[in-house]
Amino acid sequence: MFTGLLAELEKNLKKLPGIGSKSAQRLAMFLISNHQDDALKLADSIRDAVEQYTNCSVCNILTEYEICKFCSDAHRNEQLLCIVENTQDVFLIENTQEFNGKYYVLNNLLSPIDGIGPDEISFPQLISLVKEREIEEVVLALSPSAEGESTINFLAAELTEFVQKITRLSTGLPFGGDIEYTNKLTLGNALIRRYSV
Amino acid sequence: MRVSKLEIIDFRNIHKFEKNFEPGGAIFFGKNGTGKTNLLEAISYCAFGKSIRSASDSELINFSKAFFRISAKFSFNHLENIITAANDDHKKLIKIDGTKISKISELYQYVKVVYFSPEDINLISGGPTNRRKFIDLAISQSSYKYLEDLRLYHRILKQRNALLKSDFSRNEKISWDTKFIEIGTRIIISRKKYLKEFIPGLSEKYFFVSGKRENLDVEYKHSFPTSEFEEFSNSFANHLERIESDEMRLQRTLAGPHLDDIIFKIDNNIARNFGSQGQKRSLVITARLVQADIIKRKDSEAPILIFDDVLADLDRGRAQRIMDLLGEEHQIFIATPNIELYEKFNLERIDLENLLNEK
Ligand SMILES: [Zn+2]
Repeated sequence: MFTGLLAELEKNLKKLPGIGSKSAQRLAMFLISNHQDDALKLADSIRDAVEQYTNCSVCNILTEYEICKFCSDAHRNEQLLCIVENTQDVFLIENTQEFNGKYYVLNNLLSPIDGIGPDEISFPQLISLVKEREIEEVVLALSPSAEGESTINFLAAELTEFVQKITRLSTGLPFGGDIEYTNKLTLGNALIRRYSV
Repeated sequence: MRVSKLEIIDFRNIHKFEKNFEPGGAIFFGKNGTGKTNLLEAISYCAFGKSIRSASDSELINFSKAFFRISAKFSFNHLENIITAANDDHKKLIKIDGTKISKISELYQYVKVVYFSPEDINLISGGPTNRRKFIDLAISQSSYKYLEDLRLYHRILKQRNALLKSDFSRNEKISWDTKFIEIGTRIIISRKKYLKEFIPGLSEKYFFVSGKRENLDVEYKHSFPTSEFEEFSNSFANHLERIESDEMRLQRTLAGPHLDDIIFKIDNNIARNFGSQGQKRSLVITARLVQADIIKRKDSEAPILIFDDVLADLDRGRAQRIMDLLGEEHQIFIATPNIELYEKFNLERIDLENLLNEK
């Protein structure tokens, strides 16, 4: 059993996804014993990244600039908008190399249990962005979970008067699965075979 | 479907057990308290990933020990699988051939067991939850898709109930209702499809078990009005629209497959209210037999049947006729204090008093 500072470190490591008690203890020991330089570098870069990264003022992607590299990229198709749950999903879609439009990050999905309604999924900003740009197609790249499905239904209903075409990913995705767990190939196919809602 | 080997460490009162089984199965006998039922429970634990009798794993752990472990070798469609189930320091760990599974329902594809428990009487005597659980598990044993639908439905239901407590917009409500109606309807259709197969089999077998004296009817009772001229999904949607103000006032969902029921009638009388103990008991055993028949048809292999002394309370005639219905193709495990009752079965007899006290 760890005590004092070490216990504190273990407690904080355990908050990371996928880290249990045993791994947290092993990591804590690793950090304080032989690799002190590396550990301090890690601490610095955690601080830098956390402090520098904020949500892009246009699309909510986590970025170290005021406006992210996707929003400021003139080669990307402004008329094509992909709506995702979080920044991680953006990078998953980028990896497929099948998408050359812009992104919009909701940062949440509708979930009344957690008190998350339209205002908590950045919906008001999304509506003004859609009205401002003449968007031809919105791709709803959300997971087919209960929350994802209802968010797709909601956005489709709300956006339909402003956008000609609203599509969602094809159901090549494992049912009830998360897009995060889908490999590159399947996600790429799901994007190519997207269909209108 | 066969279990050929079972090993147990510190499960309930069993400290150590190791045995190879014959393809036909076995009868565990011995006085009450010798752990007969615990062996049945251990086999079924590998099929359902949890106890058939108690809700929590901690009760299963041998007194004064911190863990239990069950390991069993099953063969299904000529493939062998070793299932190990353990609970160590309050953590459940189930593996199929050494690979950890994340959802216990993954077991359903590998191990097919139908368990005949004395508590099954609640299927007739108890509330509707018992009957929904019965049909949901029966369908899930052969359909992973149905299980996924159930999970999704209950998640949406929980969200929908929370929504009804909040100040929602029209489009928000519609967004939840669309999926709620879609999945709810799919569940109802799957259940009715299952009953289409289940009811004729049950009526025929129950007629035989009752000595060709009693007629059985089964009805699916919806939580909303239906009509043969309208799709379920439309009836469901229209009903939800009609009851919206009630739902908002009571802040919960008032219709859907989570509120449906199955009504069993013997000679046109509702079995739950008017059936005798003997009628109810023989009816639930027959229902389990039909459940096993349907698994057999779907998987082309007969599930393992496990009897926790359920025939003991029946009159001789009904018990005899139920035994006549049991096909040779099943591997059967029985626990009983009176072995004479099951004399017609040519099964290996395992005397627990000797076996567990040997060491
Ligand atoms: Zn941006």
